[in-house]
Amino acid sequence: MGRYTIRRLLQLIPVLLGTTFLINYMVWQLPGDPFAGRCGQRPCPDSYVSAMRAQFGLDQPILVQYWQFLKNMLTGNLGVDFNQVPVAAQLGDAWPITIRLALLAVAIEAVIGISAGVLSGLKRGGFIDNVVTISTLFLLSLPVFVTGFLLQWLLGVQLQVITPTVSDEATITELLVPAFVLASLNMAFTARLTRTSIVENRRSDYVRTAIAKGLTNRRVVGVHLLRNSLIPVLTFLGTEVGSLMSGAIITEGIFNIHGIGGLLYRAITGQDYTIVVPIASLLVLVYLVSNLLVDLLYGVLDPRIRYE
Amino acid sequence: MRVTKGAKIAAGSALLALGVAACGGGGGSSSDGGNPRTATGTVYIRGCEPQTGFVPGNINETCGGTVNDFVYSKLVKYNPDTAAPELDQAASIDTTDNKVWTIKLKPGLKWSDGTPVTAKNYVDAWNYTAYSPNAQIGSSWFADVQGFDKVNTADPDGPDGPKEAPKPETDKLSGLEVVDDTTFKVTLNAPTAVFRTKLGYITFAALPDAFFKNPQGFAQNPVTNGPFKFVKWDHNSQIVVAANPDYAGAEKPKVKQIVYKMYKDDDAAYADLVSNNLDFTELIPPSALAGDKWKTDLGDRAIEGQQGVIQTVSFPLYDKEFGGNADFRKAISLAVDRKTITDKIFNKGRVPLDSWVSPIVEGYKAGSCGEFCTYDPTKAKDFLNKAKQEGYTPPKEFPIWYNGDSAHKEWVDAMANSINQALGSDAGFTVVGKSMPTFDEFRSVITEHKIKGMFRTGWQMDYPHIEDFLNPLVKTGASSNDGLYSNKALDEKLHEADVATDQNQSVSLYQQAEAMLAEDLPTIPLWSYGLQAGTSKWVTGVKVTPFGELDPLSIQIKAAA
Repeated sequence: MGRYTIRRLLQLIPVLLGTTFLINYMVWQLPGDPFAGRCGQRPCPDSYVSAMRAQFGLDQPILVQYWQFLKNMLTGNLGVDFNQVPVAAQLGDAWPITIRLALLAVAIEAVIGISAGVLSGLKRGGFIDNVVTISTLFLLSLPVFVTGFLLQWLLGVQLQVITPTVSDEATITELLVPAFVLASLNMAFTARLTRTSIVENRRSDYVRTAIAKGLTNRRVVGVHLLRNSLIPVLTFLGTEVGSLMSGAIITEGIFNIHGIGGLLYRAITGQDYTIVVPIASLLVLVYLVSNLLVDLLYGVLDPRIRYE
Repeated sequence: MRVTKGAKIAAGSALLALGVAACGGGGGSSSDGGNPRTATGTVYIRGCEPQTGFVPGNINETCGGTVNDFVYSKLVKYNPDTAAPELDQAASIDTTDNKVWTIKLKPGLKWSDGTPVTAKNYVDAWNYTAYSPNAQIGSSWFADVQGFDKVNTADPDGPDGPKEAPKPETDKLSGLEVVDDTTFKVTLNAPTAVFRTKLGYITFAALPDAFFKNPQGFAQNPVTNGPFKFVKWDHNSQIVVAANPDYAGAEKPKVKQIVYKMYKDDDAAYADLVSNNLDFTELIPPSALAGDKWKTDLGDRAIEGQQGVIQTVSFPLYDKEFGGNADFRKAISLAVDRKTITDKIFNKGRVPLDSWVSPIVEGYKAGSCGEFCTYDPTKAKDFLNKAKQEGYTPPKEFPIWYNGDSAHKEWVDAMANSINQALGSDAGFTVVGKSMPTFDEFRSVITEHKIKGMFRTGWQMDYPHIEDFLNPLVKTGASSNDGLYSNKALDEKLHEADVATDQNQSVSLYQQAEAMLAEDLPTIPLWSYGLQAGTSKWVTGVKVTPFGELDPLSIQIKAAA
């Protein structure tokens, strides 16, 4: 297991180098000049454009720029963005909020999704199963922005139970509703995935053996059945953490949460690569690490899976 | 077990929250007399992250412009109701020939660090902005001042070329001269009647001595001279400004603090406004404008008005295929049903325009585009036939380009439909709306003069005067003359108007110049922007300037009812 982990960690290095280079290259290839739209309908003065290009090294060849980027990333010096505001500080402000939101959403997804899936899978065709099937179908057909606006309007504007937007502190209680909105779609996926998995494994030999041994129902379901059925669900939730870390642009927009999604969106529309590239690179890292963790967790759930 | 317990707690607390809220809702209305804003004297208004910091010469977008207008006073300010220029920091602005201007400051003006506002502050600031190595966005605003070519040198091959701009001979504009502590003299290259009106633009603000010690730091933490002073800036989240106790203006701020709260999404800001968490927004989202929903939502908290922004469509006159000829452009303009589009798509939030100038500025004259900006399908067909007889064949597909990152698709498509229907199926070409992903890309293609088709152009006034809608847009070689329109007679007329010493005569010359545009129709006027804003129930007296910004002196907190 230890050697496997080290090998996987070493594999991260070429993957990171490759992806960051691609990201840099693609940003460089984007059509349009980042300073063309900055002065609105008026063109920017040449002196301003030249000074900005020189400051950000846009007049250098791409390999030189990439080298500069690697050096900055490794030394932790992210510099300033096109607005002359330190990038590291902006990431430092936005990331904790996004992490809180993402973890909360995944927790909601896991708790509600898995329990609904287990309950409906155990009593296939029963009342609960039908309720879960219909309600997940309902959730799956609702786009996130519909759920978001609906809850904001209902709870925020009509009932005034919550404030329609989240304050700058973004406390856990304020984030509950946005996290629920964010989780709603994937909660349905998780429930259906768990249900299928449970239904399938319920008929397998080891479950019959366990029941025949005279084990209590709780032990059969909780230990034997659930552990085996959760593997596909875990894969799904693992990648989910990664994608939620990249910020939920729509949800963050609706509830005005100052997280990574909004930052990234603003930077992309403004072609501000000083923000896009570090965020994208860090996201690659988040994905790789969360995938590694999921792979390692397989072994915990199913001891038959061994790492060489 | 744990799961069940957790679920119970969650369900229980949710019920509790609902119950408490229900009680709160009921009890709240009776205790509503307590205005939550009164205790702190703070109001919250919608904002967005400025692109640049608090350096007036380096700003030209609305996010930064709005909040900078709160903290910097200029020589002149525009009346929030009429848009007419009035003296602000200046005690007098005198000239006999519109070329040499003597500007006297009011006595006793102070910066927020206690130092006096002097004539030198103005001259230093203007010199700094104009000096090209300082790379300030607003540098070209000083091109009228004598000696500009000595302090601002052009890059011989543009920013793309390998050559660098030569270092300017000097860093002082020869046309600026400090007479005494409160007086300075400005000499322009040529008489410019509109110079007095321009002085209210943010680029003409002064900078204190503190700026020159540390320009970078100052941009994030400025010393200012306006009705409000800077308190703090949390990037991407809020800017706080507080009333300036030393503010010398006749009208004092009526609130203690304004929080410029940043929203990424207009809908979020609107939801906060409706539920009284936000006190002001000047951007009502399209979802609320539809069917006048915002008026029912807000009632007497809705504010309607006009602002100095117009929408036009330009032709690439440098392109043989898509430039068309004058009669073709007239045919297109005649085929646009402006009234139906503004009624249906903008819910009358925009006003059909039949001139090239915003209706709220000095020098506006209705009907300068006249018959050509009035919907008339028969006449449109006639002009199309005429255009074809003159030898112009429009390409099969004629695009109208727009940037897809803001809400233009609907009206562009409507305009294309209107033209296609009016000109009929035998027109020989169809007009289609086409988008480019971002504003940056859109503007790059336009400024490189490579666009193939009509394109969306808009103009937001810098100062309320007819000149601002003509010189930058239609003069040969002007900075925002995107279609490369060139008309000698028009240029001469504009020059005549620029140098006229009499204000009224100058305005009427500008109007004559504008009338000339009707011969060529280089751009098609579409409509002028209305203004839709709203306030919370906690504030009152709110006025919105013709620039579509909050007048920070007007907002006040309602006394307990």
